[in-house]
Amino acid sequence: MQTFFSLGLVRGLIGQIVGTALGIALVTLLRAVMGKEPVWSPEPAVSFGALVGVAGFMIGVGAVTDWVKWMKGEETPFHHGPPEGKPAWTRYFGTDYSHKVIGIQYGVTSIVVIIIAGILALIFRTELAQPGIQFLDPHGFNTVMSTHGIAMIAGILLGVAAMMNYLVPLMIGASDMAFPRLNAFAFWINVPGLLLVIASLFTGGWDTGWTAYPPLSTRAPLGMLLVLLGVYVIGLSSILGALNILVTVFTMRAPGMTLFRMPIFVWASVATSIIALTATQLIGLSFIMVVAERVFKMYFFTPILSEGAKELGSPPGNAILFQHLFWFYSHPAVYVFVLPGLGIISELLPVFARKPLFGYKWVAMSSLGIALVGFLVWGHHMFTAGMEEHLRVPMMYSTLLVAVPTGVKFFSWVATLWEGKLTFPTPMLFILGAISVFLIGGLSGPPNGTVSTDLFLHDTYWIVGHFHATMFGGFVFPFFAAIYYWFPKVTGRMYNEKLGKLHFWLMTPGFWLQSLAQMQVGLKGMRRRIADYDPGLGITTGQILITIAGFIIAFSILIMVYNLIVSLRRGEVAAPNPWNSLSPEWQIPSPVPEVSYAQPFVVVDEPYAYGRPGATYIRFAPAGASDHKPTKSPSQEV
Amino acid sequence: MSTITGTLEAYQKQWRINRLGLWLFFISETFLFGGLFVARLYLWGDTRPPLDQKLGITITLILLISSYFMYRADTAIAYGDQKGLMNNLLVTFVLGLIFLIGVVGFEWRGEVRPSDGAFGAVLYGMTGMHAFHVFTGLIFIAIVWLNARKGLYTKERHWGVEACAIYWHFVDMVWAFYYPALYLLGTVPHG
Amino acid sequence: MRHILTAAVLVVIVTVIVAFILINANLLPTVASQEGMIIDNLLTLHLLVIAFLFALIVVFMTYSIVVFRRKPGEEGDGKYIHGNTKLEIVWTLLPLATVLYFASLGASSLYEITKPLDNELKIGVVGFQWAWRFDYYGPDGKVAFSSNELYLPKDRPVRLDITSTDVIHSFWVPEFRVKQDAVPGQRHPLRITPTQLGEFKVRCAEICGRGHAVMYATARVLEPSEFQSWYEQQLASSQEEGGDIVAMGAKVAQKYGCIGCHSTDGSPMAGPTWKGLFGKEETLADGRTITVDEEYIRRSILDPGADIVKGFANIMPNTYKDQISDEELEALIAYIKSLK
Ligand code: HEA
Ligand code: HEA
Ligand code: HEC
Ligand code: CUA
Ligand SMILES: [Cu+2]
Repeated sequence: MQTFFSLGLVRGLIGQIVGTALGIALVTLLRAVMGKEPVWSPEPAVSFGALVGVAGFMIGVGAVTDWVKWMKGEETPFHHGPPEGKPAWTRYFGTDYSHKVIGIQYGVTSIVVIIIAGILALIFRTELAQPGIQFLDPHGFNTVMSTHGIAMIAGILLGVAAMMNYLVPLMIGASDMAFPRLNAFAFWINVPGLLLVIASLFTGGWDTGWTAYPPLSTRAPLGMLLVLLGVYVIGLSSILGALNILVTVFTMRAPGMTLFRMPIFVWASVATSIIALTATQLIGLSFIMVVAERVFKMYFFTPILSEGAKELGSPPGNAILFQHLFWFYSHPAVYVFVLPGLGIISELLPVFARKPLFGYKWVAMSSLGIALVGFLVWGHHMFTAGMEEHLRVPMMYSTLLVAVPTGVKFFSWVATLWEGKLTFPTPMLFILGAISVFLIGGLSGPPNGTVSTDLFLHDTYWIVGHFHATMFGGFVFPFFAAIYYWFPKVTGRMYNEKLGKLHFWLMTPGFWLQSLAQMQVGLKGMRRRIADYDPGLGITTGQILITIAGFIIAFSILIMVYNLIVSLRRGEVAAPNPWNSLSPEWQIPSPVPEVSYAQPFVVVDEPYAYGRPGATYIRFAPAGASDHKPTKSPSQEV
Repeated sequence: MSTITGTLEAYQKQWRINRLGLWLFFISETFLFGGLFVARLYLWGDTRPPLDQKLGITITLILLISSYFMYRADTAIAYGDQKGLMNNLLVTFVLGLIFLIGVVGFEWRGEVRPSDGAFGAVLYGMTGMHAFHVFTGLIFIAIVWLNARKGLYTKERHWGVEACAIYWHFVDMVWAFYYPALYLLGTVPHG
Repeated sequence: MRHILTAAVLVVIVTVIVAFILINANLLPTVASQEGMIIDNLLTLHLLVIAFLFALIVVFMTYSIVVFRRKPGEEGDGKYIHGNTKLEIVWTLLPLATVLYFASLGASSLYEITKPLDNELKIGVVGFQWAWRFDYYGPDGKVAFSSNELYLPKDRPVRLDITSTDVIHSFWVPEFRVKQDAVPGQRHPLRITPTQLGEFKVRCAEICGRGHAVMYATARVLEPSEFQSWYEQQLASSQEEGGDIVAMGAKVAQKYGCIGCHSTDGSPMAGPTWKGLFGKEETLADGRTITVDEEYIRRSILDPGADIVKGFANIMPNTYKDQISDEELEALIAYIKSLK
């Protein structure tokens, strides 16, 4: 019991509850003192309460303790290893500064969130299996569907952060992230944020879809407010995490690791972090503006003119502005979702094909290319929105341009496979699945990108099919591949290969079915975000298939969860380098020791020299050499 | 970050890392402020609300001058001048506070209310977001001042002061864009 | 080389098969507008390219999986190949050319379907939670009358000026292909030239709250002569002043879009029919039964959430109390009473 209450998570939750109550009480008290009517006004009270609650959580969990000490000018010596006098597992439930612990925390949270969001999908898919209203009223449907969308996206961001946190420092030979405390802060702030999003289900719900377009979002019930604030907080985490990754990569690489000798996943992380660092501010801003419109009646987006405004000659608010701000983040965000996943594909293919990554520099540059061009295409979500007409054609050109660097990746992957010596353990299967699934997702993009066809496709299930395929292929499949691949590294034990294969062989056909059926009903005229559909469209079979496929996928994921939990305790002890990889993290014991590299290493060669006899990527430096700045000229010895 | 013990070399290495982090943070914040700036251009076009021009130029000058004292504070500690650091920080703090009072106490008491269409929304959005940053800057200055009093900064080790100073300059720079956007660009419609 | 040739042949075969399936699978609803045909052509072209690229990647991948797998007992690694700059340039430039070509097709087709035409019929479209209203203009250029059904003449270009009074909606008829969002405070044009007679459904394509799924209206494409006589008849009746209270109620029901959800002839729609409503025993969702009287109808309009009729969802807008005047309310009630 005492252990229970000493867990950071528990203290954080208590802090959040107390903080929320305090915040609500404070605003209400202030209103009473200032004589404002009505005294109980939910919107200001709850929004302030939510923010104080988040702060309460962060204080409770202990993520700001060290910073407060700094402010007071105190010392904060670094503590390695599990907290003293407590069982080792407790460190996963509290503030811990090790990037390996934080990576696991992110990963587990991600899976939990994806499962919650997936269960929401199954709920509304069951409703949609037949035409008519069965058990979800339209508002309930909208709430469940919208929460599915936003929770999945949060889950992806967490999963991306999990992979980057765990792998990047290991891959570049850094002792940890550049700012370990910031890292812990960035992880923990997700938890109160997610709780706000989930709380929205019980506070009136919300019905805007994940995009939260005003004016609808300015009128939606209280739940909307919690979602807006929750997503804002999650966005903050994304920004801080990205900052940390960039600084880590730029300042803490092992000697000899020039930019073009970095593992390709690190390149993907850099590209992703550039987007997350900058663009994320705009989704935060747009959501905060909606909150301001709700709480302070600041009409950014609704064309309401008060008497005073008319007297001043003020122009009206404009709903399109929100969409510009929102998509300026949310389009690049889709590349935040996939670039690390595509990085995982490029990272693992050479290992299982036993060949160097084909066109390493091109693949690395294509990540940057996608990230940068991705900043110029946001308008393709607004072709029908009534956006400035002269923007439609330029946005179409830039959108289609993204196909070029993405194509470079595909062709390079295929060329990597060609004349390799392929083996197919579970991670490789998921990589191949990822390529095939991302391919249909990507190829369904250009029809959306050409304006005239998008006028037809926009807001139909074709789009739903498109983005499930891209996100499954670009994130879910590679994420699962990464989980299986690094499971022995993280735990020191092997997962069950049979169950892994079963997972794959259920999930891949299940997913193909789901996505293709979504595209098919979409072309027939099935609109997005509807609780009930017109059976006259001839889409009932398609709808049933999507639902069945959803359940197959869910079942396969259940198998994975089972596999991981059982293998964690009873799996075979893994060989030190089961995949025969050249990557640095496989040259040290599993699970990774507290100090990852007792002996620092020097990079002596390109990262994927498979196929050349006797190739190595790194060489451990003689003991005593400390971590240097990366030297510009790599040593030439082979 | 601000390890006082430990070798000087380690401290300065961490300093470089911190500096990079802070600059990346500014890049990120630029997008936030830029978004509001774009909102202003988008919604107001070539109009602007009637604002008190004298007040505007006064608080702008005050903020700019505060940056000068902040610069002096930073330089002072680079020469190990503890006293100079504290005095200049104090001046900066007071000027910053006057700016904040100017915005919140006077500008916000003007003709325009937050609920007055796009004028109100953008005016309060931009000045509010900026004022919030000035406010955090003031807290930052206060903390640095208190720590300076404890004698925690030296010639070689004063990352805290530098961080505070460049943060302050950054917030100042933002206003250098916001002031013309709010007070100078466009014409006041005769409503 | 032998490997590449085999794979190339397979790519061709798979492309043909996939393209055949895509083209013949009857993927789209019938097309009923000029703009729709242009879009369908471009979409078909897209599908062909998709078929080819899909085949290209999948065939090479599957081929590698089958042919280059590690055979039992085999040792050693694959070939040490780093890359090939010429190849990289080729597979950068070819897709680049393709997408530029498609973008130019997109631009020209966009021009085709949005360019102003002579002889355009102008109709105002107003979306609101959760119904549509269509405003027809008189000879003087002012709105002459409104309808909850969209009447269109065949083969004549129509320009819809679309707006909304509350949140964002989107005007879409799948058979016409094109759609346009209705944004409060703004009017955006959408051009359609219907090419087929018949009834189509207008479907709101942007989420707009509880009633989004059922935000329908009927679009009727008539022969130009039929359309003309409908138009003139409506124009004439709109100019008759006053009329009795029941006739006024019918107009009010049009104005607020009630007809979008309530039928007057007993046919099922999103809301209960008004035919024979007055005096009827109504079963509510919570099991109560109520005899429909004036008071009940008034309450149903002003506070729709209070009594939910069994078998229906609570989607009727609760904003009418701020919009409908007392006079209009009385007229509505009189009108509903008259529908026996
Ligand atoms: C992980 C995410 C991800 C990825 C990678 C993509 C990738 C792409 N997306 Fe997608 N998209 C989403 C996630 C993603 N999308 C989401 C979530 C939405 C919906 C948001 C919402 O409304 O809720 C969306 C919506 C969306 C729209 C708006 C549709 C609408 O609402 O009307 C458009 C329009 O242009 C679009 C286009 C594209 C394009 C052109 C790509 C390209 O990057 C694809 C490039 C890849 C290929 C083309 C395949 C491989 C390339 C080759 C083999 C080379 C040769 C190719 C050619 C010559 C064509 N997407
Ligand atoms: C990564 C992102 C992601 C993922 C994985 C999914 C997964 C699924 N999605 Fe989702 N979806 C989105 C992101 C995602 N979705 C987004 C962003 C939207 C847009 C929302 C909007 O329009 O605003 C959307 C919208 C969306 C729609 C359109 C809704 C509408 O417009 O009305 C549909 C409809 O079919 C759908 C279906 C599904 C289904 C059936 C799955 C299935 O694959 C789900 C599979 C199930 C699971 C992943 C859970 C598995 C686990 C278990 C059940 C085990 C449980 C038990 C324990 C271990 C204790 N999704
Ligand atoms: C978006 C659809 C929609 C619109 C628009 C709409 N209604 Fe309704 N209406 C419903 C639904 C659904 C019900 C049944 C559920 C309920 O009782 O709330 C209903 C119920 C009613 C009832 C009670 C009927 C009964 O069988 O007991 C009346 C009367 C009514 N509406 C009148 C109106 C009037 C008058 C207007 C326009 C001013 C209008 N409605 C507009 C959907 C709508
Ligand atoms: Cu109107 Cu959806
Ligand atoms: Cu996009």
